[in-house]
This record gives sequence, structure tokens and C-alpha cells, in this order.
Amino acid sequence: MAIDRFLEPKASSWMANEGENTDIAMSTRIRLARNLSEFKFPYAFTEDEALKVDKAISSVLLDKGNELNQEFTHIDIHEISPLHRELLVEKHLISPHLAAGAHAGSVLLSKNEELSIMVNEEDHLRIQSLQSGFHLQETYKIANELDTLIEENLQYAFHEKFGYLTSCPTNTGTGMRASVMLHLPALTMSQQITRIIPAISRLGMVVRGIYGEGSEALGNVYQISNQLTLGKSEYEILQDLQNMTEQIIEQERRAREAILNNSPLKLEDRIYRSLGILTYSRLLTTEEAAKCLSDVRLGIDLRLIKNIDMSILNELMIFMQPAFLQRYSEKPLSPNERDIARAQLFRERLKEEYKINGDKEGEDSE
Amino acid sequence: MICNQCGERPASVLVKQKRNGQLTERHLCHVCAAENHNLNLAFEQDPLAIHQLLSNWFPVQSPSVSPVKKEVSVCPSCGFTFNNFLKLGKFGCANCYEAFESNLEEIFKRLHNGNKEHAGKIPASYGSTLKIKKEIEELRKQLKASIDAEEFEEAARLRDKVRELSKELEGSANHGD
Repeated sequence: MAIDRFLEPKASSWMANEGENTDIAMSTRIRLARNLSEFKFPYAFTEDEALKVDKAISSVLLDKGNELNQEFTHIDIHEISPLHRELLVEKHLISPHLAAGAHAGSVLLSKNEELSIMVNEEDHLRIQSLQSGFHLQETYKIANELDTLIEENLQYAFHEKFGYLTSCPTNTGTGMRASVMLHLPALTMSQQITRIIPAISRLGMVVRGIYGEGSEALGNVYQISNQLTLGKSEYEILQDLQNMTEQIIEQERRAREAILNNSPLKLEDRIYRSLGILTYSRLLTTEEAAKCLSDVRLGIDLRLIKNIDMSILNELMIFMQPAFLQRYSEKPLSPNERDIARAQLFRERLKEEYKINGDKEGEDSE
Repeated sequence: MICNQCGERPASVLVKQKRNGQLTERHLCHVCAAENHNLNLAFEQDPLAIHQLLSNWFPVQSPSVSPVKKEVSVCPSCGFTFNNFLKLGKFGCANCYEAFESNLEEIFKRLHNGNKEHAGKIPASYGSTLKIKKEIEELRKQLKASIDAEEFEEAARLRDKVRELSKELEGSANHGD
């Protein structure tokens, strides 16, 4: 089937970890919410309308995608199994909301998985552009070009005063949500993050960890995004987010330096213990894996660990989730079996990596 | 302590969640915690339970209390009432925006730090007219700023530009654009 390639446990290009500041900024995402003026929005439309919307959008993308040198694959959400939907969710190619499949809907994916267009999620269209590293303007440009292509062929719901009309009033206007994923172990360790989060929310931006509110984010990964979609142009919103993100990155760097200066041995110990757990453990929970991944990532950034490529960690973060583990083991797993499979996945993947890069520790090879 | 969710495994994670100023704490086992949170960070969840915010700002009046003031705004095209909108926190269609317009300014201002008007991209299909109008608006703002700052040369330049654009706007109107 055409969709198989998207379900493979292979890295998408946005996991590649290339570019400036990738030690802290892991990936950039731009999402544009759009609706067609001719149809009611997904909270009110009929199944018949849902099908028409899907058809209209899909045919534009499939026919005209080549104008942008893109080739899209159309995946009907009702035609794939629940496990396959779950795999796409874990890879961040579709949202849980779309996977729930409340009505006719689909996703169109570009070959390199950098563009994903969800049809009939909360809005008729959710254009999503993903890049590894910290590239707000460039990621927006890709989404914007696709948006312009669609707009040349279909009539969007747009209002002179309110801008792009969306289902949710929090998206009205630009319909744009821009976000950057940040790995902030030092700001978390030093608890500075608990001061930063509320300060940022006053500036029309929001920082979230996996646990919703705070200091206990899974794997020390946070997402910073804009909250405003009215009153500012896309350019200004991106500029604000750019400045704020740069400041956070700078603060994270300073916090890392401080920790490294104050307690280098403690930090090193923590990093190598985590590497040991990932390399040798037999039972590995999501929490522990995420925590250790964060430590090892930091170890690579600080050049303590030199024989593991950062992109492997980005992959493992995705592939350690339940649906990918099930695929990896080729059978449904109980929670306990998942911990076993997760440990095995890490052991195998890291062993491979040591084979390629040698298993000497960074400090020995100096 | 036993996990609050599955009631089977021992709780090992304390999950704190703050919603609308209310802090909830749940003790979960590692399995339930992971399943609940599932690394789905890349997709934004509703940052705030929007419908709850809306109903706080606009308490839904029960019809029995005020039987006289019964006419509620109903969207003619999808049938959503303003109360529907408040409850769900979502619009049913593009026309809802017109139907509920009288209340929207307040809502947008609260949701978007005091902003209530779009200042971004305009689809080409909405014609050059709107683009010019917005540009003139923007230039007028800059014009006022430069007069306040006593930068008269800049102000003159901006004034000429506004004139030029206004002419263009009239021109396109006369040609029945």
C-alpha cells in the first residue's frame, strides 16, 4: 500500500537534527487553519459535506502539488486500521483528533514528511509544515506557499475584519500556530523554568511541557508557541517568537555552563548513568527512557558522549511509543511487555550505533 | 499508594494539572502516566478549556429566568445559537461570525491580548481592494506617528503615498472591480 512508507520506523527528515541551535531547538512547526467558504465547519457539517470537502481539497493537492515540486499521498482516515492511525499520531503526522475519525477525513503527506495536510480535523484544512532545528521563517514559507496554491483553486472563508475564519476563536485571524520544541534540561534542573513559563504567557506566547503545566515535563522537552492570532501579521508573530526563543536558548546555555562549572562530576555521573540504563536495561518505562534520553542528549551537546548521533535519539523518542513498539514486536503488548520491548529497542539501536562509531567513551578518545 | 486511574499498579508519578486556576493532582502509575501523556507534545491541545472560559465571561441565561428577553442570536446558515457557541467554544460555520458579531469583539479582545482585528495575510481572491484599504489604514497610523514625532519629511512622504493609494482605490471602484 502507498501509505506503508509513512508507517515505517524510519526517521522523517524533521528528526534529522541539522542546523543551527539544534542542540537546544529540536524542531519547528507551523500550522495554518483554514476553511472553505462554501461548507459548514466540521462541528456542524453533514457527512455529505465532509466528503465533498475532502474531495475538493484532495484533488487540488494531488493535481497541483507538482507546481511546488511536491508529491502528496492521500490517506483516508477510515480506510486504515486503528494501529496505523496510532502510528501516524506517534510520528506527529496527524493529530489524535483526526485519528478519532468522527467523520470523513484524510491526511495528505508529502514524500519527505515535512508537509502534512489534515482534512476535516477541527477545521477543513490544517496545513502543517515541519522542519528539524530552529527555522521559523523558512518553515512558514513552505506552509505559506502551499496555502497560496490552495487559495488559488478554492475559496477560503475569510472576513475583512476577522481574517481567516476558524472553528475555534483562539485561531481566528492568521489561523497560524508556530511552535518550536526545546530541550531545556539545565533550566529545568535549576528550576528557572518555573519562573520563565508564567512570564512568557503575559507576552502572548505559551510554553508547555508534556505534563501540561510545568516543571516536570517528560524528557525536559518543552514547546513554545504563539497564542495570539489577531492583531499581528504572520511576520510579526514569527519575529516575536523568534526573539523569545533565542532568549530562552541563551538562558539555557548559561544555565548549562553554570551547572558544568559548579558540579561537573555530578553532571557527568548523571549523564553516564543514564547512558548505562539505555544501553543495558531490561525493563524501561516511558518516564525513565525520556529522562535518560534527555541526559544523554545533554551529554552529546557537552561533547562528553561522542559515539552516538543525535538523530538516533530523536528517532528513539518517537519509536519508543506504544504503537511503534507494537509494530516492532509484531504483536499487541501489555504495558509490562512494552517496557521489555522498549528496553530491547534501545539496546539494539545503541549497539548498532556503537558498531558504527566504536564503543569507546568520548573521554577515552581524546 | 495505588494508581488513581487503573487502580492496580502502585502510583509512581504525581501529575499536576492546572486548568482555569484550579490545580488537580493525580497519583498515577508509570504506565497510566505514559499513556495519558503519550509524548503528543507536537500537537497542541487546547491551551485552555475555551468553552469554560467563554461561559465564565458570558453566563448562559436560563430561559426561565428571563422569559421576556428570549431572542437569542441564531446563525441562519448552520443553526448554531450563541449559547451553542458558548457551550462548545467553537463556531459552526463562517456565517456564525456575522450572526454573533455583536459579542465577538469582547471575546476576541480577551483571547488575543486586546486585539480584535486581523492584520495578516489576505487571500488574493479577496481582491486588491481590501489589500489597498488595509495598506492605507496602516500608512495613516504611521503618518500620525511621524507627525507626533515631528518627522515632517517622512510625514509628507506618507501622505503622498496615502493619496496615491486612495486614487488607485477610487479608480478600481469606478471600473466596477
